[in-house]
Amino acid sequence: MLNIALPKGRLGDKVYRLFSACGYDCSAMETDDRRLVLADEGGKVQYLLVKPSDVAIYVEHGAADVGVVGKDVLVEGGNDVYELLDLGFGACRMCVAAPVGFREDLAAPLRVATKYPGIAKRYYAGKSREIEIIKLNGSIELAPILGLSDVIVDIVETGSTLVQNHLEVIETILPISARLIVNKAALRFKAEEIRPLLAALQKPAAEGEKV
Amino acid sequence: MEQRTEARREQLTSRLRGLYESLGYTRFSMRRFEEYALYLENKSFLKSESVLTFTNPDGKLMALKPDVTLSIVKHARSERDTLEKVYYKESVYRLAPTAREFVEIDQMGVEALGAIDSYTVAEIMRLAIESLRAVGGEYVLDISHMGFALGLMEAAGLSPEQKERLFTLIRQKNAHELAEAIVQERIAPFYAERIAKLAGLSGAFPETLARAEKLAVSDEMEQALSELRSLYSLLTAVGLADCLQLDFSMLNDLNYYNGIVFQGYVQGAPRVVLSGGRYDHLMHRFGKQGEAIGFALYLDELTRVLAEHRAWDADVLALYQPGDALSKVQAAVFGMAAQGLRVFAASAHPKDFRAAKTVVFRGDTFEEVR
Repeated sequence: MLNIALPKGRLGDKVYRLFSACGYDCSAMETDDRRLVLADEGGKVQYLLVKPSDVAIYVEHGAADVGVVGKDVLVEGGNDVYELLDLGFGACRMCVAAPVGFREDLAAPLRVATKYPGIAKRYYAGKSREIEIIKLNGSIELAPILGLSDVIVDIVETGSTLVQNHLEVIETILPISARLIVNKAALRFKAEEIRPLLAALQKPAAEGEKV
Repeated sequence: MEQRTEARREQLTSRLRGLYESLGYTRFSMRRFEEYALYLENKSFLKSESVLTFTNPDGKLMALKPDVTLSIVKHARSERDTLEKVYYKESVYRLAPTAREFVEIDQMGVEALGAIDSYTVAEIMRLAIESLRAVGGEYVLDISHMGFALGLMEAAGLSPEQKERLFTLIRQKNAHELAEAIVQERIAPFYAERIAKLAGLSGAFPETLARAEKLAVSDEMEQALSELRSLYSLLTAVGLADCLQLDFSMLNDLNYYNGIVFQGYVQGAPRVVLSGGRYDHLMHRFGKQGEAIGFALYLDELTRVLAEHRAWDADVLALYQPGDALSKVQAAVFGMAAQGLRVFAASAHPKDFRAAKTVVFRGDTFEEVR
């Protein structure tokens, strides 16, 4: 049986629909169930519903064989897993955003508010820019408005939240989308189960990129 | 339960020690610490870059050893025409993979240094396979050859930075970003299509080798394939090839490794449990003329595999009364233990204690109660 870790929420629903269309359906997923582990009757798959930022951890430790996770979580966590497919959807960008008309003071360390301290640290280290990281867990856009930080590093999908808060993207760090990840040992010991899944997902993934 | 796991680990290590010694490998033992400079200069060789350091009374910065191979290479003879075979079982200190905390880890490994020929390579490979087998259960040994991917990238004329970027993506089997990187680095189409295939070039040995043959464009690559081919036929001849897989996406650090590299997996462990390869470059960095090959077995990764989940705290709970003839009680308890049972003797049932069978001393012997 293949253990698949899905992020709870909108992305997870979308991923489940894709997997289900590829023949990995599970009736328990379709009812409004509050269980976190759902197996199909045929014993082919078992879905684990976990917090999006934990998907890669489940896969790295082998509690799940396969998982779907945003590239942002993967880069931030630096997990030791195989990244086998870009599923194409959930597309957005990791960006630096600042108040409209922001001018950087190069004489002082840049204050960066973010949920992604690892990505921010690496990005600015690459530019040899000294920064001060302010780790937040939500409503990042608030930080520059209140003067808590100069800029923010966050994911931007449509940019409407930024506009509403008088912020604008000043740099793009990397493009983000949903990725299929696989545990390293599972790829050896469950190859016969994983390979058909990969083949089935490959087609929709290529189409998803165009949408 | 903890103790049972420890006992199985002891059993495994003593079995492996016997195996390594029977083939002439001698024990290499070392102090807990080395000068920090040794690790600083070779940071990327270490599994994790964090090293536990302290200052010794002379003001020298010392480190609790995070690795044993570097010390073995440092002490190796420097002539070309000699051969040393060593094994070690040492504690190393590194960051736990999950928590930002230092842990003491048991590591075992084997190294051959000096004049390495194809017999020695095959001997090390066989020891790696036997070591995985000794763990028990299903296992897989992935093999690759650094010369294959490297030869391709050299033929394409890539810079060290470009190679490093592509290597990282190939290691993740990240074919989609590899394809993007190849476009961004403006690699000539003839090489680009071949490099793009490296991420997915893995699987059963003969089939994967046949696929790889179509990609070979230089002598270095041909040489790599012929080494793999002869190794495979040798291991097939001794009946050990079933667990072998080829995986050209497996690439160790360029600065240290060349030639054959390999990684072992066992069922039940989510990460690599054995890792090794040919590291002539590391020898040369230390000014040694010889070559070297070896591997390490990560005993910490095996903890879960070796753990024995028992439903019972003991096979037999033997209950006696303080007034009983204690010499007879003791004789009966030791008698059951001699039959191979785990016996827990007590005058009252300990709280939460679970035994497969409970017996009570009556008169002369223990009688079972239900």
